[in-house]
Amino acid sequence: MIAYIVRRILQMIPVFLGVTVILFILRAPGILPGDPVRMITGEKAISETLYNQIVKKYGLDEPLVVQYGKYLANVVRGDLGDSYQKGRAVTDILMDKLPNTIKLAIAAIIIEMLFGIAAGVISAIKRYSFWDILVTLSTSVLVSIPVFWLGMLLQLVFGVKFKQWGLPYLPVSGMKSAQFPTAIHIILPAVTLASVSTAYAARIMRSQLLEVIGQDYIRTAMAKGLTYRRVISGHAMKNALIPVVTFLGLDLGAMIGGTILTETVFNWPGIGYEMFLAIGQRDWPIVMGGTIIIVLLVMVINLLVDISYAFLDPRIRYGRHEA
Amino acid sequence: MSSMNKRHMLVFLVLALVLAVTAVAVSACGEEGTTGTTGAGGEKPVKGGTFSFYIGEPAFIDPVNGQESEGIQVINAVFDSLLFFDSKAGKLVPAAAEKWEANADASVWTFHLNKDAKFHNGRKVTAADFKYAWERICNPVNESEISYHLSAVKGFQAMQDGTATELEGVKAVDDYTLEVTLEYPFADFEFVVSHPSLCPVPKEEVEKDPKAFAEKPVGNGPFMMAEPWAHDQYIKVVRFDDYYGQKAYLDGVDFKIFKDDETAFLEFKAGNLDFTVIPSGQVKAVAAEYGESPDGYTVEPGKQVLLGPEVSIYYILFNTKDDVLKNVDLRRAISLAINRQAICDTVYEGMRVPATGIVPSGILGYLDNQWAYCKYDPAQAKELLAKAGYPDGQGLPEISIGFNTGRGHEDVMALIQANLKDIGIQAKLDGVEWAQYLDKLDTGEFQMARLGWLADYPIMDNFLYPLFYSKSADNHSFYENPTVDEKLLAARKITDVDARIKAYQEVDRMIGEDAPVIPVNVYRHGRLGSDRIRGFMFDNMGLADLASVWIAAK
Repeated sequence: MIAYIVRRILQMIPVFLGVTVILFILRAPGILPGDPVRMITGEKAISETLYNQIVKKYGLDEPLVVQYGKYLANVVRGDLGDSYQKGRAVTDILMDKLPNTIKLAIAAIIIEMLFGIAAGVISAIKRYSFWDILVTLSTSVLVSIPVFWLGMLLQLVFGVKFKQWGLPYLPVSGMKSAQFPTAIHIILPAVTLASVSTAYAARIMRSQLLEVIGQDYIRTAMAKGLTYRRVISGHAMKNALIPVVTFLGLDLGAMIGGTILTETVFNWPGIGYEMFLAIGQRDWPIVMGGTIIIVLLVMVINLLVDISYAFLDPRIRYGRHEA
Repeated sequence: MSSMNKRHMLVFLVLALVLAVTAVAVSACGEEGTTGTTGAGGEKPVKGGTFSFYIGEPAFIDPVNGQESEGIQVINAVFDSLLFFDSKAGKLVPAAAEKWEANADASVWTFHLNKDAKFHNGRKVTAADFKYAWERICNPVNESEISYHLSAVKGFQAMQDGTATELEGVKAVDDYTLEVTLEYPFADFEFVVSHPSLCPVPKEEVEKDPKAFAEKPVGNGPFMMAEPWAHDQYIKVVRFDDYYGQKAYLDGVDFKIFKDDETAFLEFKAGNLDFTVIPSGQVKAVAAEYGESPDGYTVEPGKQVLLGPEVSIYYILFNTKDDVLKNVDLRRAISLAINRQAICDTVYEGMRVPATGIVPSGILGYLDNQWAYCKYDPAQAKELLAKAGYPDGQGLPEISIGFNTGRGHEDVMALIQANLKDIGIQAKLDGVEWAQYLDKLDTGEFQMARLGWLADYPIMDNFLYPLFYSKSADNHSFYENPTVDEKLLAARKITDVDARIKAYQEVDRMIGEDAPVIPVNVYRHGRLGSDRIRGFMFDNMGLADLASVWIAAK
């Protein structure tokens, strides 16, 4: 297992290099139009001296290969450069924003796990019952509702209307306020962010569990006289969970990459909106630094998901001979 | 509880939730609004309370680079420049300088500072602090994008080139006298120094930790920073009790930072914001619900929607060096073909006012219908098109109209395209994203292209000189008229206000005859204030004098 983990970590190096090379190619003249200096200085004209000064400061006059070499050398030292637009260190900006995105993503994944898996299990073991129909219908609705619309509806109901009606209410947006701690602020954005994936998780869980329940070893377990609950939790769930865990792992990775709509609607200061702005503004240091960190995090999450398979299914073992 | 009861209870809860959500969604779609928060309070100013003000994430709140409206809003609360433009009175009033004068040709200006003014660290504000702040802006090491404000000051170019470390023209005669010598006479310079970013900064605070200063600047204004800027969340300022002028009534102002107008509007509805932007498409409904302010700039209970015109203009450039568009009659014809009112009504829901010239109302010396060809007259457009050598558009090649995508520009351009077709001109639209668009403007790779211009100071010169002086870097239409150049420079030297305004009006008319650009519309505020705020005015420059605001007693 340790050899496997080390090998997976070493595999991150070529991926990291590949990502940085692609991003640098995008910066090459003629690939993605837009002069970053012009984006820094805005609509009103600036003097040529200042223009040249900015070009020199960020080393934009050097050949791309030299810029790449210097960039890599700095990254190894933990320096991701300064944002063109904000003048602040990229590491500071990312360290401000990334933890917020991670908090939101983890809260959403917890909701997906709790409600998605529970709804899927209930729906499978009580097939064709009222609860199964309710789960099937509500997951269909959730999948079809646009995230920003659901977000605004939740804000209107639980933030605005509940307050007007004198009921306990939730904050409309933001990450902290005088009245509420972050844990309360996270509820609505996390529910919104989790909505679609919870529905998918429930559907995957339901179909997997139904498939597993129909297999011989489950019938054998039942024939041995084990209780239904024990058969489901001890035998069926472990196998049925693997696709759900794969889905949740991928989903967590996607959410770490940023969730622009949820962050925008709930004014959540996360990495997604920051990256979105940076791309439009040709703020390469943020785009590069953000992408590198996100790629590394996603790879670590994928590794953890792969490791979790071994715990879910004892037949899965990662060893040198299996590679 | 039996399992049956539990099941019933659960079903009931689910149904109740679904009904509640549906009821709220339905009521939200069609509700008749209430003005909702507290009732009107006493009219005498009362102290206390915090004002919640919606802004977008500023680029900078350090005046060394204070440029866009969001950062300027904060800088305006935390700092005082030499003078302040009182838009109610339509004139400059003392701020950090209690009086000021210029020499005969307006090339040397003397400002006498208020001796009671202090920075928030307790130190007195001196003339040297202005000199330091302005040199900080002009020093290329600081990469300030607003150094152009000081381009008239003697020694500016030497500092920009890096051959001087001081602004030769700025002299602290003594602690409370600042003398500014200009490179050329400029009678409107007093308006330039009223820009919020040309305020003094305390050298000791900047040099102690420049990065910390950028996050929590120390100023001389009526409010001081309560804590460092929480990026993408808020900027909190509190009353500065040692302020030399009218002390603020408010305990503080929370500048709450939002990415999205819709979210901010919901926060307003929840009673968490006092001043917000009206989301697009909702102006009429919001105006009906909260009442429109009669003057468009001040908020009163029941008259809370601000729709006053701003001093900023949306216009279309002609590339006057283009082989086809160098024909002045063709440019006039195109300008006359555009139905500006239809654009304002259909694309902007009445949130814009049709332009009648490049100088918007609200600027000193503004005259209505100043540009002869800035109106909708398809018949005259057709005549001029024929005069230009293209009767009914025959023989005229297709013209390209460039724009940056998003923000409704596509819709404006589509209407213009249709207007041009009506008189026989074929146009194609060339929309690209902003970064690429700026490249095109700089390299002149366009025939027609849109832009906006926001005034830094409420003077005609701020529109005419940057946009039409032949050597100005902001003259994207490449317009060149030696008489206009000469008259613009001459107007800058006239110290008598009325005579100067007349001179600018004349040159404005001349530029209009050449139609180097097409003024399309003037922006309007589209803001909404809560019914608990009093004494609040959001002027046509988009600035609020927050020291005069108070919260009504409940």
